[in-house]
Formats: sequence, structure tokens, C-alpha cells
Amino acid sequence: MEKSSTSKSSKPAPKEESLFTIKKWNAVALWSWDVTCDTCAICKLLLVDACMKCQNEIKTEDCVVVWGECNHSFHRCCIASWLNKSNRCPLCQREWIVQRIGR
Amino acid sequence: MSTPARRRLMRDFKKLQEDPPAGVSGAPTEDNILIWNAVIFGPHDTPFEDGTFKLTIRFTEDYPNKPPAVRFVSKMFHPNVYADGGICLDILQNRWSPTYDVSAILTSIQSLLDEPNPNSPANSLAAQLYQQNKREYEKKVSAIVEESWMNE
Repeated sequence: MEKSSTSKSSKPAPKEESLFTIKKWNAVALWSWDVTCDTCAICKLLLVDACMKCQNEIKTEDCVVVWGECNHSFHRCCIASWLNKSNRCPLCQREWIVQRIGR
Repeated sequence: MSTPARRRLMRDFKKLQEDPPAGVSGAPTEDNILIWNAVIFGPHDTPFEDGTFKLTIRFTEDYPNKPPAVRFVSKMFHPNVYADGGICLDILQNRWSPTYDVSAILTSIQSLLDEPNPNSPANSLAAQLYQQNKREYEKKVSAIVEESWMNE
């Protein structure tokens, strides 16, 4: 929004007479999914879909998403097989602590 | 047979074709998607400029939880490349992450060319010349750049 009605201008403006009035205001809101990324960085498939392993074994119902305390999210199957090798988040290398599990 | 590793590699290949990084290319061999051939072009404004260096990448069914074995087929002269073409690069060993893909691997090796790590030398002569005699180092590199055009 323009702020010219309240800011001091060099030109002498007539007092108690605003330069313009707001006749209509259209507020616009933006939204996004409450996840940092919509793709699993390990198998590269969408987090809303099942992971590559579960799609292969046709177990798509069981495939859930897990968020770490670092806010990175992966398919639970994908991060589980990585955690056999390391307990660090594959994206930020911080220690992997589960924050929540969901879909 | 489709396994998670093979499907992931198909995705990597698709990404490499749709969004090709500058100066690298790679493709699976015709009969085995676990074995790839790749080419890295020497980056501009470096002694490696104009080189076309061929590599092989060997994946296992543990990919992407385990890194592939990457090696130069073309002769290389670089502080972090062994005589057999093996590459000493942290992200291919202890700093591997399952989020890396073929595109990330190739671009990492490409940037290693002009940013060697002389503290973990795989070729001690290359490491020594890089630190003490740049002119001689660049001469040796020019020789393998020329050689890279001749190899079949």
C-alpha cells in the first residue's frame, strides 16, 4: 500500500485532507505444504506417494513420511535403511532424531 | 528385473538427460544399468581445459545407501587420483549421503579437478608439483589432456 498520505512531503499539502482513500482492499494469502520439500531426497519420489521400495513390493499403504528434528523429511523406509549405516540426517548431517511420523 | 537401486538409477539417468549439468555426461551401459560410462570435460580456465576424461561408475544394489565405485578410465594426473584411476574424494567414501545422484557425483569430481586436496594425496608426485612447481604440474596435466583425445 502507498504510504504517501502519511509521509511528510516537501510540497505543502492541505491539512486534514488525505491524498487518497482506500475504496477496496483485496487481501491475498499464500499457502504451501507444511513440509520443507515435497520430494524424498533419498529415492527422489514424491513424499505423498509411496517410496520406490514399497511401490516395488506393492505395499503402498504402509509407506509413511517421517520428519526429523532438523525438519527434513523422508519416506520412513528410505531413512530407515540409511540409518543402518549412519545416524546422521542425509541432508544436513545433524544427528537424526525423529520429530514426527505421518503422511 | 526392477529393484529400488535400478529404479533410482533410471531416475538419475532421466534427470541427467532432462537437466544436464554443464561439462559432464553419463549413461548406463546397454546391458547393465548398474555400470555406467561417463565423460567429464576439463573446466574452462584450468589446466584441464579441453580434456575429455572418461570414467566408469559401478553401482551395487545398495545404491543409494552405498556410494558407487568411480574411476577414471582416461589417464589422469591429479593429486587425488590414484595410478589405477581410483578417486580419493570424501563424498565417495566417508561423507557419502544417499541424497546424492549421478549428476551430483559427476559435478563433484569435475570441481575436484581444479580444487585438489593436497592433504590426502593419491598421487604424491602430482601433489608435490601442485604445491611446489605449478609450471611443471601444468605441463604434466597438458600431456594427459592431449592423451584424453586419443583414447578410444
